Amino acid sequence: MTSFRTFTELVLERTAELGSEDAFLFLPDDAGGAVPEHLTYAGLDQDARRIASWLQANGAGGGQVLLLYPSGTGFIKAFTGCLYAGSVAVPAPLPTEQGQHFSRVTGILKDAEVRAVLTDAANEPEITAWLAAEGLTEVRCLATDGTAYGDPAAYTVPDLGPEHLAFLQYTSGSTSEPKGVMVSHRNLLANEAAIQHAAGTSARSRFGGWLPFYHDMGLIGHILHPLYVGASAVLLSPVSFLRRPQRWLKVFSDHGANIGGGPNFAYDLCVRRITDEQLAELDLSGWECAGNGAEPVRAETLKAFAARFAPAGFRPEAFFPCYGMAETTLLVSGTPKDRRPAQRTVDPAALEQGVFADPHDGGPARTLVSSGVVRDFTVKIVDPDTRQERPEGAVGEIWAKGDSVAAGYWNRPLTTTEIFDAKIADGRGGEDAGGWLRTGDLGVLENGELYVTGRLKELIIFSGRNLYPQDIERAVQGTDKALGIGAGAVFTVETDREHLVVVQEVRLSAVGTDLRSLATGIQRYLGQELQIPAGNVVLVRPGTIRKTTSGKIQRTLMRELFLKGALTPLFEVLEPPVRQTVADATATSLAAAV
Amino acid sequence: MSVPTTGRTTDELAVWLSDRIALYLRRRPEEIAPAVPLAEYGLDSVAALSLCGDIEEDFGLILEPTVAWDYPTIDALAAHLAESLAGEAAAR
Repeated sequence: MTSFRTFTELVLERTAELGSEDAFLFLPDDAGGAVPEHLTYAGLDQDARRIASWLQANGAGGGQVLLLYPSGTGFIKAFTGCLYAGSVAVPAPLPTEQGQHFSRVTGILKDAEVRAVLTDAANEPEITAWLAAEGLTEVRCLATDGTAYGDPAAYTVPDLGPEHLAFLQYTSGSTSEPKGVMVSHRNLLANEAAIQHAAGTSARSRFGGWLPFYHDMGLIGHILHPLYVGASAVLLSPVSFLRRPQRWLKVFSDHGANIGGGPNFAYDLCVRRITDEQLAELDLSGWECAGNGAEPVRAETLKAFAARFAPAGFRPEAFFPCYGMAETTLLVSGTPKDRRPAQRTVDPAALEQGVFADPHDGGPARTLVSSGVVRDFTVKIVDPDTRQERPEGAVGEIWAKGDSVAAGYWNRPLTTTEIFDAKIADGRGGEDAGGWLRTGDLGVLENGELYVTGRLKELIIFSGRNLYPQDIERAVQGTDKALGIGAGAVFTVETDREHLVVVQEVRLSAVGTDLRSLATGIQRYLGQELQIPAGNVVLVRPGTIRKTTSGKIQRTLMRELFLKGALTPLFEVLEPPVRQTVADATATSLAAAV
Repeated sequence: MSVPTTGRTTDELAVWLSDRIALYLRRRPEEIAPAVPLAEYGLDSVAALSLCGDIEEDFGLILEPTVAWDYPTIDALAAHLAESLAGEAAAR
């Protein structure tokens, strides 16, 4: 593997050597899902050449190319076409499919300075209209599902080096300030090697996945990794999985997949939705590696999944909790093969103070699942304020260094220096040479295991999706004119899972309806348009939301006030577990005050 | 998929819907009032798609993924489901 300088060289060799073998099988959404679409390595090569030759002929070889596709093999061909052309692929969610608005992709389109957009014939007219509306008429849009474009014979292999960019990954940054992680060919090759070391993949691996292609775990883990090891993948759409989760498990049962994963919620969904009849049809004994990452890994979920699917032959040793992010290309750590994930039960009060300690007898306890061991990176736990290294067993920010750590954020030199070139202080006024990535996640290293314990950044994660509070707040305030702009705070509260809480100021004089309808309108918008469960809304009087002197919303403080029961709501709707958490916390603080 | 659809009253469908939706939203079925918008209980796209999948599984009926938003309460969903099933039965 080390002989390749770029991922383009690697894919060109794979498609040449594996010709008639299947690279991807895509299971369509229709009820049966019975007739999978096969894409062989030769088929992939043919279409990638045509796309690459069009990109090269249209001035987009070497430039950024936005990929907007529904689930299917079209995206895979287009991404490979970009690799062939030496273009920088920019995967993004297709607005028309998600019921989302183009505005969410417009930020990416402009930030990435794309030269062309690739899509399919069904979406091409709307995308062309969108480009015109944005005044970007020089950006070409191509529907790649036809064949009346590009001359495969005119394709020329680009002259690329390891530092050339392979793609920009836009999973960081808010809608108004999108941040594209610059993943170079060197980063991508290094991380694919790291995944192979951690998960023990080979040419006999068969991947099974449903994640969106624009999600780093979907793209790097389930599309590019199969190409890297010269294996195959069986894929279905996220919607198909969410409608009927058994379709994903059937990929392992009926289509010979032996590796595949998703965020923790996917396992939880399988536990709750697979019926006894469906369970009886499953054989999961061949599932060797079940990845769990992109959101916190929960001990209860692993336990429930292992118990529920043991009769189908699932082995708990297959669980592969892992940790990573777009800024490290994908994987940082993973659970060694053929042993169960390590777990650590700690005293939650000590954890809040920043250390791992055994729980008191009969006292409260929290069980954390290890995200495995670090192999191809150097990871240190660092105090985010003093920037000094923290000892084993102590909580701090996870800092990482290695060949997979991306070059930075596209066109954002200041943020890049801050996040990608941090320096560790020695406590005597000196510091090291820097080059550390600040992940924004809090964690502990103990006995070589990495435990992720929380987040320093204000990121909110639902169903493996990264969301920014300011985007949610803006969406909330857009639902009714009575809701004050810039006068809301969203945060999460944890019970056995994470709950979103919206605290929003209301100008009573502007309320045209009752407060309950106002709250329901917010909940409906967040649930349907932003696809976030919004069970908790607290409407408050103007002046309730605390801000810093510079006008920044103090979300952490608002969260504390909410949990202490210190907010006086005009109206509130809370989920029962959240109501209970507030009641417990209020009782504790009252008891402490007495 | 031959599912006996006759004899399923709107009330029975409402009970089925309450059970399923309670499961997605991690609540007890009796917590979900039939006339209250499901959004108030934190309905999201995962739950809305789950409902479509389970309707497909149990009734052989393929509905739009937006059905839980277009018919936002248990009452409205039960009536819509009854009507759709009657339409299916008549078309057979």
